[in-house]
Amino acid sequence: MAPRRIPSYRVPILVLVLVLILLGLGLSPPAQAHKLRVFAAAEGPLITGSAYFAGGGAAGGARIRVLDAQGRTLAEPTPDAAGRFSYRAKAAADLLILAETGDGHRAEWPIPASDLSGSFPTGGAGTPAQPAAAPTAPAAAPPTPAPTGADPLLTTAIEGAVARQIRPLREELQSFQDQARLRDILGGLGYIFGLMGLALWWRSRRTAARP
Amino acid sequence: MAHIPDGVLSAPVLITGAIASAGLLTLALRRLDYDHLPAAAALSAAFFVSSLISVPVGPSSVHLLLNGLMGLLLGWTALPALFVALVLQAVFFGYGGFAVLGVNTLNMALPALLCALALRPVLRRERQRSAARPVFRIGAAAGAAGVLLTALMLALSLGLSGQAFIPAAQVLVVTYVPLALVEALITGTVLSFLQRVEPGLLPGAE
Repeated sequence: MAPRRIPSYRVPILVLVLVLILLGLGLSPPAQAHKLRVFAAAEGPLITGSAYFAGGGAAGGARIRVLDAQGRTLAEPTPDAAGRFSYRAKAAADLLILAETGDGHRAEWPIPASDLSGSFPTGGAGTPAQPAAAPTAPAAAPPTPAPTGADPLLTTAIEGAVARQIRPLREELQSFQDQARLRDILGGLGYIFGLMGLALWWRSRRTAARP
Repeated sequence: MAHIPDGVLSAPVLITGAIASAGLLTLALRRLDYDHLPAAAALSAAFFVSSLISVPVGPSSVHLLLNGLMGLLLGWTALPALFVALVLQAVFFGYGGFAVLGVNTLNMALPALLCALALRPVLRRERQRSAARPVFRIGAAAGAAGVLLTALMLALSLGLSGQAFIPAAQVLVVTYVPLALVEALITGTVLSFLQRVEPGLLPGAE
C-alpha cells in the first residue's frame, strides 16, 4: 500500500498553529460571536430595547419593526447610533420585535401580552384584541386578573418595579448566551479532526484489504 | 454576511440551494483527494474558528471567509471541508440554520470551486516557471474573488427571495469590498509563505 506521494504533515501543523492564534484572538474573553441580536423589555406600556451584533458592537443601521400576532407591522422605530429604540404599546397584545440589517441578518424578540397587561385595564371581555396566546410565549400566563381585593394600582406598581429589577438580569442572561464558549469551539474542532481521522482510517482499511 | 439565518429566504431558493449543494458535494466526495485530507481538516478548522472574530463594518458586521484560499489549496476537497465547518457552526454557534444550510454551503463553496477551477491551473503553470512574485498575486486574486463572488451569491439569494434587492446589494458592497481587500492581502501572504516554507502543499508540486 505504497502511497503515490508522501503527504506533507508539516503544513497542517502550521495551519493548526494559525488556528490556535486565531483562537487566542477570538477567545480574549468573552469570545465574540457574529450574529444579530435584538433585546427588548416592557416597563409599563413603554417597550425599550436594543439591536446589536453579539460581540461585534451596536447595530445602529438596523431596521426595527414591531409586529402584532397577525404579522402586521405596527411601527418602525428608528434605532439611534447605539442601536437603542423604544415603542409605546397601544394595547396588551402579543408583540414581536424584528430587526434586520438588509444583508440577511435577522433577529426577533417576542413580547408576551402578559408583560404589557399591567398597564392596560384588563376588563374581562373588554379586550377583544387579545389574540390566542402565540406559540412563542408558552410560559406567558393569560393577562393576570388581579386577585379580588387587591388594589389594581398597587398591582401595576409592583409589576413595574419587578420588570425594572429583572431587566438587567435578563440582559446579562442574553449576553451570556451570546458568548461562544470554549467547549463549543473545542468540540467543533474535535469533530473536524475526528471526521478526518475517520476518512483516513476508512481509506487505509480499503487499501489494506486490496491485495 | 455568509450565514443567512432561517426564516429569511423563500422556499424555492432553499430547495434549489439544497439540491445544488447536495449534487456538488456528491461530486466532490467522488473526487476526494485523501492525501490532502489533513490540510483540508486544518483549513476547515481555520474557517470554523475565523467566523468568531467579526468586525463591525457599516450597518453590518463581517468576518474572514477564507473560501478563496480553501479553493486554491484544496480544489474539490474544499467543498466537504466547507460543508463540515458550516454544519458545526450551525450546531455550536447557532450561525445560519439547518433549512438554509444548502444555500449557505452553495454561497461559500461555489466561489471556492470557481477559484479552484480558474486559478489552480494558473498557479501550477506559474510555479513551474519558479516565479515567487505571481504566487502572491494569484493568492490575492483568489481571496478577493472568493469574497466578492460570495457577496454576489448572497445578494442573489436575498433578491430571489423577494427581499428588497437594492438595499441589500448596497449593504453588501459597503461591507464586502473592504473585506475583499483584507482577504486578498491575507490569502496572498499565506500563499507566498507556503511557497517559501512548504511548497509541497501548493498545486503543481508533483
